[in-house]
Amino acid sequence: MTTNIISVGLLSFAHGHAYSYASALRQREDVKLAGFWDDDADRARSVAAQLGLTQFDSLQELLASDIDAVIICSENAKHAELTLAAAAAKKHVMCEKPLGISVDEMERMIAACAVNGVQLMTAFPCRYIPAVIEAKKSIERGDIGEIVAVKGTNRGSMPGGWFVVPSASGGGAVLDHTVHVMDLMNWFVQSDIVDVYAEAATLFHPELEVEDAGMVHVRFESGVVASLDPSWSRSRSFPTWGDVTMEIIGTQGVISIDAFAQKSDLYSDKETKAQWMYWGDDMDAGLVDGFIHAIKQGTEVPITGEDGLKSARVALAALESSRLEAPVKL
Amino acid sequence: MKVVVLGCGTMGSIHAAAFSRMPDVTLAAVCDIDGERAERLASKLGTVRYASFEEMMNAVEADVVSIALPTPLHKPYVLKAAALGKHVICEKPIAASPEDAEEMIAACRANGVRLFIGHVVRFFPEYADMSSRIEAGAIGTVGVAHAKRIGSHPGDATPWYADQEASGGVMMDLMIHDIDYMRSLFGDVKSVYALNRTGPSLDYALVTLRFHHHNAIVHLEAHWGYPGPFTTAAEFAGTSGVLRYDSSASNSLQIRRAQATASEKKVAVPSSPSYRDPYYLELAHFIGCIRSGAEPIVTEEDAKKAVEVARAAIKSAATGQVIRLDAAEVNGEER
Repeated sequence: MTTNIISVGLLSFAHGHAYSYASALRQREDVKLAGFWDDDADRARSVAAQLGLTQFDSLQELLASDIDAVIICSENAKHAELTLAAAAAKKHVMCEKPLGISVDEMERMIAACAVNGVQLMTAFPCRYIPAVIEAKKSIERGDIGEIVAVKGTNRGSMPGGWFVVPSASGGGAVLDHTVHVMDLMNWFVQSDIVDVYAEAATLFHPELEVEDAGMVHVRFESGVVASLDPSWSRSRSFPTWGDVTMEIIGTQGVISIDAFAQKSDLYSDKETKAQWMYWGDDMDAGLVDGFIHAIKQGTEVPITGEDGLKSARVALAALESSRLEAPVKL
Repeated sequence: MKVVVLGCGTMGSIHAAAFSRMPDVTLAAVCDIDGERAERLASKLGTVRYASFEEMMNAVEADVVSIALPTPLHKPYVLKAAALGKHVICEKPIAASPEDAEEMIAACRANGVRLFIGHVVRFFPEYADMSSRIEAGAIGTVGVAHAKRIGSHPGDATPWYADQEASGGVMMDLMIHDIDYMRSLFGDVKSVYALNRTGPSLDYALVTLRFHHHNAIVHLEAHWGYPGPFTTAAEFAGTSGVLRYDSSASNSLQIRRAQATASEKKVAVPSSPSYRDPYYLELAHFIGCIRSGAEPIVTEEDAKKAVEVARAAIKSAATGQVIRLDAAEVNGEER
């Protein structure tokens, strides 16, 4: 086991997923968590204190060390520059979603990793939800015939912080929450998207400068049609943070996914609201395993930069469609 | 008040049974070209039956004609009943096109008779409850709403439904319930974008609506050919809460028999028994409006506008474009 240890550095804890990736990495015997760098000094201090991780004062210092790979959990707008820097330093990259905030920068990220001979993986943990994996197998077995339509939701709570600052996030709910389920749709349907039509608006938190509500529609080349609700529409009173659901309509049946249905219903006087306590499997551990395994084996990462681009491009087209109030061709 | 029911299929039987139970209403006759079907219903409800509309109207002094025929027959029989000076209750959709609907509305007005269209969802206790909670501000201002209506393909049992020309398909015949319901909450529709796939025993549609006088984004799902039990659901997310209803999660009664036959085991039919029958409430409301002259909860103009939206959805799905609808014309006779 000790012959093949992958050394990993974490670039930024701006996105909260960094904490669960760190925890997944630490549980592995084949990974050395070399340390982290964060451009926010307060956050860096708190991460160092909370997780006891080695803190690097500069990005260059961490990238110059003998790490094999980095995981990027910065603000969306910094994904590109950090990926380019890591690729130049010959480090494999797993980047939080959305991969980037423009098609151009995502293409540069993919090209830079290719030129430098390192892998680029997009962090779409939903691919590791057991129900999603079984649904994929069911589709491939032909259980529901040919897919004709998909209705998805990835509703959530308004995250606040940099997520609602346009210069840092690149967009609101439509960018944040289209990509996960769009990636699953791409994975299931295996066809290119022809056009995108979307509604987007700020309807739940009028003070925001980004959209918090939307409805995204896509038409695939194969004829499959799909819709997706990416809204930050879960109120504080709602029993959980959000959802991932998919209704996959086939010529011979229907597959329904409710990814976080494995829950207990908790009613506690400590919180005067009902709470859904998820007890299902940890999808982030599966995602990290997919990344580490591919690097160790020298095989292609299971979710590539192209996959990340494919879904983020739909989210960007959705925002454009809502501005134009018309469908946008891809 | 004397009512005759035209059409003795599923909906006609429901109409006839409701009228037969109503105080001060007489179910004067039922009519169907299928004599056996008409006879079964007439003998069950203790009324007379006819095989032709003309024959029935010659023989019976009726005040109201209740029409439960396939959609393409709505217009000719509404026009005939109006010409005879009879008030008309007609199943949804009012007609296949807004133009036909307008002609029917004009004919009823010209003949001084009332016209009511059976958009029954507004009378279902679960939908009436959601409406009242939204109107009371329980979840603030609605931002995004979903509605679902899924079940088996009616064309498998009753062929005219499978004929897109005749029934208009799942958006015109089934989703129109939710179109009307959302109009009751958010007013006139500004834009419609639709996705639709059809195949043998399959008609699936996803439609997004925006409104002239409300900012909500409304997304509707309708499915003919769903392999599970008939299911309806709705969710409203607002600025201060979420309101949701799902028929599959609100069945108050499940009866499971150890001695059930194989076929019974295959299709579980859960139920939610209630003292309130939405069809009875709707039809009694219409009869009450005839007596009092009051405006109904759902007007014939509402019915026409629901058809307008469904037509726009069909056009959107066919062209891939978003279809815009004009704001309601200010009309003295509208509410």
